[in-house]
Amino acid sequence: MDSPADELLAIRCQLGERAAFDALITRWHPPLWRYLRRLANDDDTAHDLAQETWLRVLRAIAKLREPARLRPWLFGIARRTAMDRLRAQYTQPPMSDVNPEDIAAELPDANLEEEFATLEVSVGSLPIVEREVLALFYLRELSLEEISVLVEVPIGTVKSRLFRARQLLRRDLKTTGVYQ
Amino acid sequence: MSIQNDSLLSIRKLACGELSVKARLGYVALLLASAAMTVVIVSLWFTEPSLPPRTHWAFGAMSAIGTSWATLAVWALTTRRVLFARDKVIAGYMAVTFTLAFVIGALAAVLISQRAAAFMALTTGVLMLGVAVRVLGSARRRFAALSARRAELARMTA
Repeated sequence: MDSPADELLAIRCQLGERAAFDALITRWHPPLWRYLRRLANDDDTAHDLAQETWLRVLRAIAKLREPARLRPWLFGIARRTAMDRLRAQYTQPPMSDVNPEDIAAELPDANLEEEFATLEVSVGSLPIVEREVLALFYLRELSLEEISVLVEVPIGTVKSRLFRARQLLRRDLKTTGVYQ
Repeated sequence: MSIQNDSLLSIRKLACGELSVKARLGYVALLLASAAMTVVIVSLWFTEPSLPPRTHWAFGAMSAIGTSWATLAVWALTTRRVLFARDKVIAGYMAVTFTLAFVIGALAAVLISQRAAAFMALTTGVLMLGVAVRVLGSARRRFAALSARRAELARMTA
């Protein structure tokens, strides 16, 4: 559940307060833009996706049923917008040969999280499916359950994608010498 | 960072256009006017005896035009210019005022002309007024509920 401040913002928007929309955009555009930028991998596409996302948000927020869940709702719209645009690239089959126990053991590794900020290029080179989960989990700090709802796949698949993203990233960083 | 800021500015401009209250209420007015026009035309069409075929075609075409405008307004209000809680209350009052005026006009026509078309328009007008009153009541309740929650959250975050 989001903070009361976010719920308040959503309700003020639903009431139709003009100033609340300015506050909503100021508060949520930067994280949405960064998320879309990572999915799109280029500024122009991210810009188009952000416009389309906000258009959808402004047209749908009056019907938002749970204002207390503003954050996953916003990222859900951003994701659907991006997926509509990038559907052609969104064909990576889910991994099936990964042991869930290994995945669970991998998740709490926090050291890698700190390195992501300086590893834009490596993250950007990941396939869209893995990049998205990685961005949501580490950069947007959404829980596995929230990502599962957002991406509309089971939690096990989210873990698989996260595991694979970390593997790919580690391999890439080893070849570049960043990760020992 | 500047690209992100440019994007933020463009989103704000986008929001200015999208959130125009004038456009929203304009569609409400269009819906009310086109619905009233269609009711009057259909009432005349169905109650006039022995119309020539070309008059039937003319009434049919005018009814189709009125229905098309009403459909466009409904589509815009449900997908493009969605009404917020405050807009819905204003739209509700607009609907009640407009349909009440329509009913009074139709009642005057009934009293003066005693024509079947006037009776049909009056009956439909009363039904529309009932719908408008229900819509207004629902909008007011929704607005009150959201306002109460807003006040509660404002206290929590103060």
